[in-house]
Amino acid sequence: MGKKSPEDGGRRRRMMFRAFALMLAAVLLLPLMPYAVAYVGGITNPNPGADLWRQVRQREAPPEVRTQVQGVDTGVLINARGESWREFRMEQLIPWSGWFLGGMLVAIALFYLLRGRIRIDNGRSGILVQRFTVNQRMAHWFMAVVFTILGLTGLVLLYGRFVLIPLLGPEGFSVTAAACKEIHNLFGPIFPLAVLLILFYFARGNGFHWVDFKWLAKGGGLLGGHASAGHFNMGQKLWFWGTLLFGLSLVASGFVLVFPNFGQGRLIMEWAHFSHGIAAVLFIGGAFAHSYIGTLGMEGALEAMTNGYVDANWAKEHHDLWYAQMEAEGKVGVVPERGLSESSGGPETAGG
Amino acid sequence: MARMKFLCDAERCIECNGCVTACKNEHEVPWGVNRRRVVTINDGEPGERSMSVACMHCSDAPCAAVCPVDCFYTTEDGVVLHDKDICIGCGYCFYACPFGAPQFPSTGAYGSRGAMDKCTFCAGGPEPDGSAEEFKKYGRNRLSEGRLPLCAEMCSTKALLAGDGDTVSDIFRERVTYRGIGTLAWGWGVAYGKGGVRQSAGLGGKASSTKE
Repeated sequence: MGKKSPEDGGRRRRMMFRAFALMLAAVLLLPLMPYAVAYVGGITNPNPGADLWRQVRQREAPPEVRTQVQGVDTGVLINARGESWREFRMEQLIPWSGWFLGGMLVAIALFYLLRGRIRIDNGRSGILVQRFTVNQRMAHWFMAVVFTILGLTGLVLLYGRFVLIPLLGPEGFSVTAAACKEIHNLFGPIFPLAVLLILFYFARGNGFHWVDFKWLAKGGGLLGGHASAGHFNMGQKLWFWGTLLFGLSLVASGFVLVFPNFGQGRLIMEWAHFSHGIAAVLFIGGAFAHSYIGTLGMEGALEAMTNGYVDANWAKEHHDLWYAQMEAEGKVGVVPERGLSESSGGPETAGG
Repeated sequence: MARMKFLCDAERCIECNGCVTACKNEHEVPWGVNRRRVVTINDGEPGERSMSVACMHCSDAPCAAVCPVDCFYTTEDGVVLHDKDICIGCGYCFYACPFGAPQFPSTGAYGSRGAMDKCTFCAGGPEPDGSAEEFKKYGRNRLSEGRLPLCAEMCSTKALLAGDGDTVSDIFRERVTYRGIGTLAWGWGVAYGKGGVRQSAGLGGKASSTKE
């Protein structure tokens, strides 16, 4: 018989403790076994209803779909993207563009009230420099007219329901909107021609140089002072390239939208509308600023685009590098064409 | 008032296109326009299902929301209708509709859209009920005569139900209970073992959803 030694008591307690720990672990972990089996074994829960409705909603790859009705998207049972498009147009594009365009007008008005019209500091010299050729001016005004028509008709289609129905009534606005739609569709395909003309006649001189970034850093003299610039300053260059980029986007999306008879489905149309709307709103906002600075905003600017000549002092102050080049080439003070209006100011001079 | 709804029972639809033909004929729908269509999923495979879809007359209709000329209106019965004289044919309702209900004849410049046409729940349009102008533009107005849409009336298997939402769902619920396999909106695979739901309910066959 073994006598019980003191170590036996401690060993028994350790064994009891370990057994208890083992039992506790078993009690806690064994019930988890089915989950482990399920995880490893991958028990599938085929849900025929879920499969069917997932296919109906086109959430996965399009199923083997057949319909006797031929047409665009007739095989699609539920187009879930329609809701995201509705949300984009009604809850994002319309309100946000309204704030943006309204904000642009307010900002321009504030700028005019605070800064006033940017004058020619040294007054008109009466000496003229030719700035834009007749082709350039033709391209610009052609674009301006086409853009204004497209922009106005587009804005009517975007905001008219909220702004014009209270004014014109449902039938009156329907006639207006129908006319705007037809005009927009008619002038739309003419717009790419305008973009090409702008590209052709204004590309030279619109490359970016270091002096343009310095101009931008000085704010272009918008709040006072003057910044050095060549034929076109940074603002004009950004507007040129913006016109090309926005114009390209509008033309591409516009063609997709205006010719719906090539069987493009709703997804393509929704993407086209998305880019068309955003590009148009940004372009129109820029056009507000561009029109302001070219007319009311700056003395001596509009005549550059109407009769093609600018005052020498205007050129010295706003486009000094270009003026210096003109002076070096002896093009300052050339006799202007017949029929020049008084807006150039001062007596005409021949030669320096 | 009634709340008019459609319900197409995918278990019963046999893709006969009787609803499509009835609608097209009754309303003398112009060429190229199809108010109702039947779409078959998994055609020719086990688990083939067909569903008839036209305008679902949504309570919060997205077509009405995006219309730039606001030509849609909802009647007291919950039927979503529109005014073709106001419609400018822009197509926005077609982009927004989940079911592709708005249809357009290609009559405009560049092949662009004429005035929109869609399922009216056989309830006509804003013209006076049963008038000749209403029939020419929108088709027959059966609701004003106290009748239900013709597509549901003509359905050969009564898969397509149309009418007050409560009544329609009561009918459907009866069917679901009778079938005993649920609305197929949730799974029974684990509880009833392998094989499709229909197998376990003794309803296995050509249209069974099992792929084995």
